[in-house]
Amino acid sequence: MTGAGGRIEIDGLAKQFGELRVFENVDLTIGEREIVSIVGPSGCGKTTMLRCIDGLVKPDGGEVRINGQRVTEPPRGVAVVFQHFGLFPWKTVYENVAYGLRLAGVPKKQIEESVPRHIELVGLAGFEKAYPYQLSGGMQQRTGLARALATEPDVLLMDEPFASIDAQTREILQFELLRIWESRPTSMVFVTHSIEEAVLMGDRVVVLRGRPSTVHEVIETGLPRPRTRDVLSSPRFNEVREHVWSTLMQEAERAERELQETR
Amino acid sequence: MSATAQSVPLPRPFALGPRAGRFALRIGTGAALLALWEGFVTLFAPSYVARPSGVARVLPDVLSSSLFWSDARVTVVAVFEGLAIGVVLGVVVGLTMGRLRDVDSALRFYVSAFFAMPLIALVPVMTLWFGYTGTVRLAIVSFGAFLPVCLNVYDGTRKLPAHYVEVAQSYHARWWNVWFGIALPASLPYLLAGFRLAAGRALVAAVIAEYIVALPGLGYFIIFDSRTFHMNEAMVAVLALALLGVAINSLADLLTRRFLPWYRRA
Repeated sequence: MTGAGGRIEIDGLAKQFGELRVFENVDLTIGEREIVSIVGPSGCGKTTMLRCIDGLVKPDGGEVRINGQRVTEPPRGVAVVFQHFGLFPWKTVYENVAYGLRLAGVPKKQIEESVPRHIELVGLAGFEKAYPYQLSGGMQQRTGLARALATEPDVLLMDEPFASIDAQTREILQFELLRIWESRPTSMVFVTHSIEEAVLMGDRVVVLRGRPSTVHEVIETGLPRPRTRDVLSSPRFNEVREHVWSTLMQEAERAERELQETR
Repeated sequence: MSATAQSVPLPRPFALGPRAGRFALRIGTGAALLALWEGFVTLFAPSYVARPSGVARVLPDVLSSSLFWSDARVTVVAVFEGLAIGVVLGVVVGLTMGRLRDVDSALRFYVSAFFAMPLIALVPVMTLWFGYTGTVRLAIVSFGAFLPVCLNVYDGTRKLPAHYVEVAQSYHARWWNVWFGIALPASLPYLLAGFRLAAGRALVAAVIAEYIVALPGLGYFIIFDSRTFHMNEAMVAVLALALLGVAINSLADLLTRRFLPWYRRA
């Protein structure tokens, strides 16, 4: 199956909560079938930025266009995977995965074909009738991923999807996501606070810095696809990781100094 | 491992299985209460006062009388009709109050006030509106059932986790999808708790209405037999009401298991 990617254009995006300016002057273009990681210190507004891209949060300046259409509400063809999984506890795995399709009014026959296929794609075959409380965190997020994929989106927005999952499961899921993406490449924005994850997933890594945050640097990872575990030990991977690390460390040190000066 | 290190459960005297033990305790308590009742009445009360042996003696007569069954039927029907009306209205109003701030501001104060007010105070007023008819009973039962359901569904809707709504919106849910597809199922545990309260209140309301308005029903059966010194017969109707309450609660348990398999362990 070949997937369609969607082109995301972010233009002078700004958001503030009351007096607090979270980010501003964010310009970024994400190409079709490209994965762009957004990394930054906690509180830098990366999750809020993702919500702006999906139209769940209204920006205070600038705009987001997806395939040329200005985003004012959650657009068709865009699906979000949440850090909190966002599964409905009263629905089974099957019904959770079918959720987006049922809301979109997809014909019953098509749902019955699509849902089991996506449950199998994320490795949850046999768990169709389970309720979320019966699943581990990793399996819950597999369900969340299947729900997003079932709508066959052009754009996938990943909001720290593996942040609340244990380290080993996280690594497994990262490579499974990459494998699934290879079989149906979409445009993907991958928000994370993990530098390794950002480098592993992304074609480019966007580093947010400052208060309010702005795009400090965009780094081409230049890592080959399909990505396998070998990437993790490649010199290029380490080089990019170290670069992002030192950039964010400078920021942390600067913030520390500022804090001490104000005391 | 040596044999001495293993702990061998010692046989306890009178040990029953945990289930059988609890059941025996329950039956034992009941039997003790009945014995106390019987003894107390025999020693200190006039002969017309109801006692277990008397109730047992009149039980076949009462259960074979058509009056008892026709009275029981109207009360049961009124309770279930009123519960149905109260639950439906309670869900609709509670959900609306929970989701719309203006409706909340407009209504919640009054719903809470009525909830705090003893329902019995309303019965004489309602006889002015509906006359001395069964409509008074249905109205008071419905209203009594409506209030706890409404307040509980309201509570459940207010406590709806914001991220459920966010997920729904990201999948293009419209407001009615959020109300009935997210807020209502998420509030089901609250609704069932409200239903249990409503069932109790509905029974009380039905009996009170029958006492005051003198409507045929189990309540009136009790009043009539008491005033004509048929205390044992009256007590049969009292026990029937208790049984009805237990039955409705079992129904709530059944509904919980059927519709909320995710809830108790979630």
